[in-house]
Amino acid sequence: MYFFFQIALSGIATGAIYGLIAVGYSLTFMTTKALNFALGMWVMMGGMLTYSLHVQYGLNPLLVLPIVTVALFLLGIVAERFSVYPFLRAGSDVWVLSTLAVGFLMIDFAEIVWGRNPTPVPPFFGKEPVYFGSVSILPQQLLIIAAACATFIGLDFFYRKTLLGKAFRAVAHSGEVSSLMGINTRRVQALSYATAAALAGIAGFLVVPLTLAEPQLGTVLGLKAFAIAIIAGLAAPRGILICGLVYGAFEGLVSGYLYTGIRDILGFSIMILALYLRPEGIFGRAQEERA
Amino acid sequence: MSSSTYLKRLAAAVAVASLGAMTGAHAQEVKIGMAAALTGPASFVGTEIKRGAEVAIDEINAKGGVKGRKLVLIARDDEHNPVKTVAQYRELVEREKVVAMLGASNSASMLAVTPIVNDTLKVPVICPATDATEITENEAKKQGRENYLFRVGMYGTGQANFMVDTMVKKFGHKKIGLLNWTGGWGVTGRGELNRRLKEHGLTPVGDETFDNNDTDMTAQIIKLKNAGAESILNYALVRENTFVVKTKEKLSNDIPYVSAWGIAGPAFWKAAGTSAEGVLSSTTVTIDGPQSAERIAFINEYKKRFNEDMSAAVFAVGAYDAIYLFKEAMEKSGFEPAQIRAGLENIPEFKGLVKHFKRPVFTKDRHNAVTEEDMIMTRWTNGKLLEIKFDDKGPYVEIDASTKKYLDKSNMKLM
Repeated sequence: MYFFFQIALSGIATGAIYGLIAVGYSLTFMTTKALNFALGMWVMMGGMLTYSLHVQYGLNPLLVLPIVTVALFLLGIVAERFSVYPFLRAGSDVWVLSTLAVGFLMIDFAEIVWGRNPTPVPPFFGKEPVYFGSVSILPQQLLIIAAACATFIGLDFFYRKTLLGKAFRAVAHSGEVSSLMGINTRRVQALSYATAAALAGIAGFLVVPLTLAEPQLGTVLGLKAFAIAIIAGLAAPRGILICGLVYGAFEGLVSGYLYTGIRDILGFSIMILALYLRPEGIFGRAQEERA
Repeated sequence: MSSSTYLKRLAAAVAVASLGAMTGAHAQEVKIGMAAALTGPASFVGTEIKRGAEVAIDEINAKGGVKGRKLVLIARDDEHNPVKTVAQYRELVEREKVVAMLGASNSASMLAVTPIVNDTLKVPVICPATDATEITENEAKKQGRENYLFRVGMYGTGQANFMVDTMVKKFGHKKIGLLNWTGGWGVTGRGELNRRLKEHGLTPVGDETFDNNDTDMTAQIIKLKNAGAESILNYALVRENTFVVKTKEKLSNDIPYVSAWGIAGPAFWKAAGTSAEGVLSSTTVTIDGPQSAERIAFINEYKKRFNEDMSAAVFAVGAYDAIYLFKEAMEKSGFEPAQIRAGLENIPEFKGLVKHFKRPVFTKDRHNAVTEEDMIMTRWTNGKLLEIKFDDKGPYVEIDASTKKYLDKSNMKLM
């Protein structure tokens, strides 16, 4: 039983990372039907900033977190204005490429500023594992699971209880109608993009002590997270968390009981199958088309 | 300026330039070429090769050169890209007329140029870095033709043999687990390790893998532990191995972990920190721990000249030796590429920095200077990569000239 619980728990911890990143895709999709395809690179920026502030300048993580969040939020506002909005306004789909271009710019920028060598960032609560019976987990992993849950509870609250959140959902449902109802659609779009960027930054902040600070830090994480957002349904943030955790545990169990080599084959096959059977995602509700 | 005047001047300039090249000013120089990554993520490999060679060349020139002729290094940046390596090899040999070359920074580049070197360029190449077995064990060798490829670094088959033999024979481990990267190098290594275990009549108790994006290897490590592995052998690079040792630490797993030379440099300790304590790595050279006087002189000269410590000593030390091997061959056999090639096969003894070769460095059939007997097993010990030596009481490392610490064979901890 130790084996099962240990790999499941480690998997869930990895899954929480995926979930945390995946929700960013959902945020922008809900309001603009556009995705920030380079979200993984934004995670990297959060991680590298954390490295600079925490390791190079010795700032306390509690100070680093708000700086990273605000910095990425502002960067998100700027990026949305210049790389997404012009295309959305023109009714073009070129944002797919332009968001990626921004991501590659970020990687190049990071390589110039921080170099390409992976550098460690010490975990915020040390590296002594915490034990549940004989099953061990790193404090940083626990922190990520907690942060992922908190993020989703917070988002849920935001969408359901706050005026701005309701505005987000209204825009998600129909931009034109919301506009007629007096909602500043344009502002909601920019805000959702920037919020997704800020969340990616927070994910980077939390993840970098578990990985290494390097320009390629977020690329693959971003892809896995994308798969999870698709499986769960881009319009179902709560489903994304559940899906992320389950997917992480699934990865661990496949590696444990089957074979690491087929893990991604199975994972991405499930994604394709999910798209085929439920294009709106496992947790997504089909958009009702009304005449 | 009218176009005809411009053309005249250009023609004159070209004439003067070619005249300069023909008249003796440079005729006495002996050109040695290299093409390796000098920029990009693998630039540390090319840079170390270049620096090691520069130190050797300046030493030789300061003492009057080779038979009165000065050595010159012409280095090209192939950006770790085999296509560029091939083009630069051609350019260096055909235009610059280099008579010898130092190897590239990646095996793919060397495998791409190997047939061209043997079939058309015909200049001797000594590789300090690339370990793909087929670079020296190539078609020309199999067909009994003249083989221009030599190596002073690791070679694949030998390293896998050495890793398995050390653990099986010297540490007495019979239950070997494998944990390899699914990236290119890991695939080859996994095959080689399996082959050698089979030659010992052993089957690995577990044959696990992980891929590029894995940051947590919990499942694989517990499986190997449950399978009763006495040691785990691995082929991967710094990044992946950092995640392996961090996972091992999280699981309080102390099964000896042995990796190929990808982690035998300071970059690994920098990335993994104290999680790397006790990890073993096979290599050809370590500059930590007690050193010979010649090595110390080189280490100091390097630091003085480049104002930093070596990031991958094996490559710098190998390139340094390669230049001196060319010198020996030139003195003995002449300055033509074919003569240098023949000369390299005829060096009966060589006191190099890699080691003191008390037998012919290369022979007609053996173009790998470093054989399995010359490879060393090292242990990461408090940021230092210390050579593991053996005496009657077992394996030990020398923390400094006067402190000897024995290893517990079951977990590689210091006793």
